[in-house]
Amino acid sequence: MIRAVFVLFSVALVLCAFIVVRPFSDRTVQADLIPSVPVEAQVTRAAAPADPVAVDAASDASSTAAVLASIAQPAPAGQLNTDESSMQEMTSGVLASLGIAATDPQDSALRDQTALALAGIRQATGQDTGDLTPQNALQSLVTQALREGQSDDYIDMLVNEAARAGDVSVPEILVTADGRVDTFVLLNAIVTQAGVAAGEPAPLAPETAGGEGVEVRVVQRVDDTAQYRFYTIGPGDSLGAIAVKFYGDISYFEAIYDANRAILSSPDMLHVGQRLVIPDLG
Amino acid sequence: MLHRFAALALASLPLAGLFAFGAGAQEVRITEGRADSSFEIAGQTFTIARIQDSEHQISGEFARTSRVCPPFCIQPAIAARGVPTIGELEVIDFLENKAANATGLLLDTRLPEWFVGGSIPGAVNVPFATLEATNPYRQDILLALGATGGEGELDFTNARELVLFANGPWDDQAARAVRNLLDAGYPAEKLSYYRGGMQDWLVLGLSVTSAVAGQ
Repeated sequence: MIRAVFVLFSVALVLCAFIVVRPFSDRTVQADLIPSVPVEAQVTRAAAPADPVAVDAASDASSTAAVLASIAQPAPAGQLNTDESSMQEMTSGVLASLGIAATDPQDSALRDQTALALAGIRQATGQDTGDLTPQNALQSLVTQALREGQSDDYIDMLVNEAARAGDVSVPEILVTADGRVDTFVLLNAIVTQAGVAAGEPAPLAPETAGGEGVEVRVVQRVDDTAQYRFYTIGPGDSLGAIAVKFYGDISYFEAIYDANRAILSSPDMLHVGQRLVIPDLG
Repeated sequence: MLHRFAALALASLPLAGLFAFGAGAQEVRITEGRADSSFEIAGQTFTIARIQDSEHQISGEFARTSRVCPPFCIQPAIAARGVPTIGELEVIDFLENKAANATGLLLDTRLPEWFVGGSIPGAVNVPFATLEATNPYRQDILLALGATGGEGELDFTNARELVLFANGPWDDQAARAVRNLLDAGYPAEKLSYYRGGMQDWLVLGLSVTSAVAGQ
């Protein structure tokens, strides 16, 4: 009798484990090059956080996101799988996959051909089949989530979880001072680029970047007056986010990084409380 | 002069017969010394032989002589500087040695539907367009081919040797693939170009992976 109860209990346990794990296994399958459903046309500006579709999805997704959050404990900086890939390439990849900024109408055919080619090469060379390189895995993950109209919070959880598990690799400039992936900046960059692709003007630098952590100092010299801006890193800041904050565009992160090489060993090694010089690009 | 040829032909007849007999009545051989070729790539066995019907003729797509040029133009003998052009025997040799011991790959650079319609046994389909710089996933392919490293600085030291082919002398896809690979940094000494492609392969009655229309 006790044995039977024990067996039943372990079956239930396995079932529970299966149910809990399943969303992730789904995710892995979806992070494939081949789009599972041809929904290219459906997503136009669903990438924009303000889109009603995305907002609707947010309520659905919040529970899943909560589950993920309970699993995901903040990890110290440096544990994330990072790389030096350019944001531009990453965002273009996502947009191309979504059919937004695709420069070539044959793009999706190309993607399918690539997937087939990879499968063929890997079979003939005995490599693991199906896995994308971590960089493109991030692209696929974000693309898939945007296609599904997932909320920003959900994507944030998803990307962080995958980055921590080592399934995806994220650009260094997206790593925040508290060791998370700055998906806000990532999504922001995607929306901005989508806008540019759709013919909207490129974003301008914010008039005055003020607020917490910002400090402006005027230094008078004999021959000229220079204005220096400083920024004190907060917990959720990534180099990309700081670039957006001061210059309106993530691609200026390098200017900040270059000006602060003395205290930054790498673009993903920000520490709370560090004081960065914000160079004047004018 | 004519007599001499006739005499030579007559003299060689019994010799040819002897060879055929010795090899178990396989009359259409790859070379004098060998009837067929068998090799294994990643656990899969492939065999290449020739069609034994000595009256067999090509029909269908590959029997056409006059495709419109452009785009189907006659290709030069050399696809790119430093990349040797090879023939069927070298392709078979490459499959038996380089491909079978995992240091080389034979790439069919045509579109997937052509590849599925029939290709050289042991070939892998990598359409030329996937090797163009505009393909955001090109790096994945290069890494799968054995390149190492990251963004912009791929190391091809351990990359596989490749033989590339397409439909044949009237098709530029293989040559484009060769140039795309070179542009991506693939070393010329690791590439070879089989210009004859499917056209010459079929003309010689060599084995293909599935029924090619009209073969």
